[in-house]
Amino acid sequence: MLGKGGKRKFDEHEDGLEGKVVSPTDGPSKVSYTLQRQTIFNISLMKLYNHRPLTEPSLQKTVLINNMLRRIQEELKQEGSLRPMFVAASQPADPLSENFREAQPAFSHLASPPLLPADLVSTMPLESCLTPASLLEDDTFCTSPAVQHDGPTKPPPPALQPVKDSFSSALDEIEELCPAPTSAEAVAAESAADDSKAQPSESNIQKPEGLPESRTAESKLMDPLPGNFEITASTGFLTDLTLDDILFADIDTSMYDFDPCTSTTGAASKMAPVSADELLKTLAPYSSQPVTPNQPFKMDLTELDHIMEVLVGS
Amino acid sequence: MFGGWGGGGVLTLCCSSSLKSAFFLFLPPADIISTVEFNHTGELLATGDKGGRVVIFQREPESKNEPYNQGEYNVYSTFQSHEPEFDYLKSLEIEEKINKIKWLPQQNAAHSLLSTNDKTIKLWKITERDKRPEGYNLKDEEGKLKDLSTVTSLQVPVLKPMDLMVEVTPRRIFANGHTYHVNSISVNSDCETYMSADDLRINLWHLAITDRSFNIVDIKPANMEDLTEVITASEFHPHHCNLFVYSSSKGSLRLCDMRASALCDKHSKLYEEPEDPSNRSFFSEIISSVSDVKFSHSGRYMLTRDYLTVKVWDLNMETKPVETYQVHDYLRSKLCSLYENDCIFDKFECAWNGSDSVIMTGAYNNFFRMFDRNTKRDVTLEASRESSKPRAILKPRRVCVGGKRRKDDISVDSLDFTKKILHTAWHPTENIIAIAATNNLYIFQDKVNSEMH
Repeated sequence: MLGKGGKRKFDEHEDGLEGKVVSPTDGPSKVSYTLQRQTIFNISLMKLYNHRPLTEPSLQKTVLINNMLRRIQEELKQEGSLRPMFVAASQPADPLSENFREAQPAFSHLASPPLLPADLVSTMPLESCLTPASLLEDDTFCTSPAVQHDGPTKPPPPALQPVKDSFSSALDEIEELCPAPTSAEAVAAESAADDSKAQPSESNIQKPEGLPESRTAESKLMDPLPGNFEITASTGFLTDLTLDDILFADIDTSMYDFDPCTSTTGAASKMAPVSADELLKTLAPYSSQPVTPNQPFKMDLTELDHIMEVLVGS
Repeated sequence: MFGGWGGGGVLTLCCSSSLKSAFFLFLPPADIISTVEFNHTGELLATGDKGGRVVIFQREPESKNEPYNQGEYNVYSTFQSHEPEFDYLKSLEIEEKINKIKWLPQQNAAHSLLSTNDKTIKLWKITERDKRPEGYNLKDEEGKLKDLSTVTSLQVPVLKPMDLMVEVTPRRIFANGHTYHVNSISVNSDCETYMSADDLRINLWHLAITDRSFNIVDIKPANMEDLTEVITASEFHPHHCNLFVYSSSKGSLRLCDMRASALCDKHSKLYEEPEDPSNRSFFSEIISSVSDVKFSHSGRYMLTRDYLTVKVWDLNMETKPVETYQVHDYLRSKLCSLYENDCIFDKFECAWNGSDSVIMTGAYNNFFRMFDRNTKRDVTLEASRESSKPRAILKPRRVCVGGKRRKDDISVDSLDFTKKILHTAWHPTENIIAIAATNNLYIFQDKVNSEMH
């Protein structure tokens, strides 16, 4: 597996992946399907919160994007909703992040608006998470995303103190169990050690350059908002992969190991006129995700159990 | 009939005086054409642009010496229809962009048209003056009152010929009827009323009354969080003044009969095609959203455009369209990036020819497509400056999808998605088409009809 990893990667990039991305029904393309879904989910969120200031967003577009989010959330709900926490808990902060910061413009969009906590926790009714419909209310049709939310979701991004609800207490628990994302430097060494320990023979080794990238993407989110739920929301899509990893442990993990820009939207990146640069930039953060799914294995399964207890119990 | 589409000319809406010059280097975005509409005789053609301007073109009379110049359209009048406004309650700008123009049937020497931006509809009257009165008793040439002591004799004023002057005057302003963005207006066949549709409501207006309109469709849910569908386009039936259709973002068409009730929330007929499970994807709903609906001239069919296809519906069959044509199916595998760059939300319009036998719609890369309903032939043509020289014959273009690539073929990957033809119009009786490609207006006509088949 290790030996011919490089070649197989190339093959996938060339033929296999592209087809799979567009045909989510294929059995083995489960991973690319979830990847694509998460990419679309993130693009949708960005679209909802990024429109030209002072102009009224097109209602038609907002509704269609909203329906897309609803549909994906419905799917996620059906698949189970425990996954985001794994990821949030297992994201190590990375000192490298400074160097990569400029290269991740997409996440700066993601990080600024109050993101929906996706299917954050099973105790929370999903419908109540899905508030963007309130965007549509003509009275509150406004340009500032922070005002649009009512209901149980989200403190606005600058509020570093999460409200003391079940989420925050759950998160506190998790933080106790895991490296706290706030102390980036301290954790870096530890997580690096973790990485090498946890995945000695995994595909990450084949493509080491993908690793710092993905981690910077995550850590960038975490830096300004320690312990905030938006982190879990924005990285929520990883959860599909982690679940798949657990459920389909026999899947060839090299699936995850593709090139940043060809992976999530294989077809997309081939479209030169659609401002390839921009696409590449925005996609890079998402597509770097595939490298991380192995990280949950760092966590002891009993820890996961404990987290689940906390989440379900709270 | 696809053989002989020839260049009628490019009309650049940069400034009307330099119409004939061929190249412009600086093209301000305000000139991006946002709607194109022939009047009922085809003699006039109106365009609206992003800067709130309306430009009217008039067809030149046929010239015997230059048969190829027949049908050339030249600028007739230009006026500022809408200005940018600011909604102080919502702190939002109201763009001046002209969303739609509709001509009223001509009832006297003057022409009238309706133009609308996102919120306000205006009725304009276009009149010609080629004579002016001279020889008033109490006024001098400049219209100033004469000193009465100088008036010694009585004379009869006379009309003297002068250079043709086109006057455009606002006759009515229909404001405050819409909370959301107006996407369509349609003049009724009774010639007295018209309707305007926004995302959630359709209003019925009398052309002479500006302070009152009747809400005939309202799909706004009590709780906006329940909103999953919006109105995307709407049109009156060409012959039955009680019938109108509106399309939705879920791909359905609803035919309503105003005789049934004052509020047509309950449609009379629902035209909807079940989703093809083999093509199901995340984008199924978005690409099924109808961007335009047009009744055929006969009133028997409806033409709808969604992102990838154009469909013909028989008013008598609700379950599925009678014809479906693929406009650019090769984009099906690119939907994710088209979603990301927002192209998937582009609102392509569609048009019938005068005899309802051919349909036309736009695509990317300055391409537009025509489908012959009888022969089932289709053609892709390109609106470009090279091809639109007078007498030039448009060459069919082909987009190749993988596999072998013939000479002159263009590959899907090299399509330019910033050059899109959203707005097209077909002369009501002749084979003359108007194609709006960003800030250029192309006019082509079919000269050597069916010779080249």
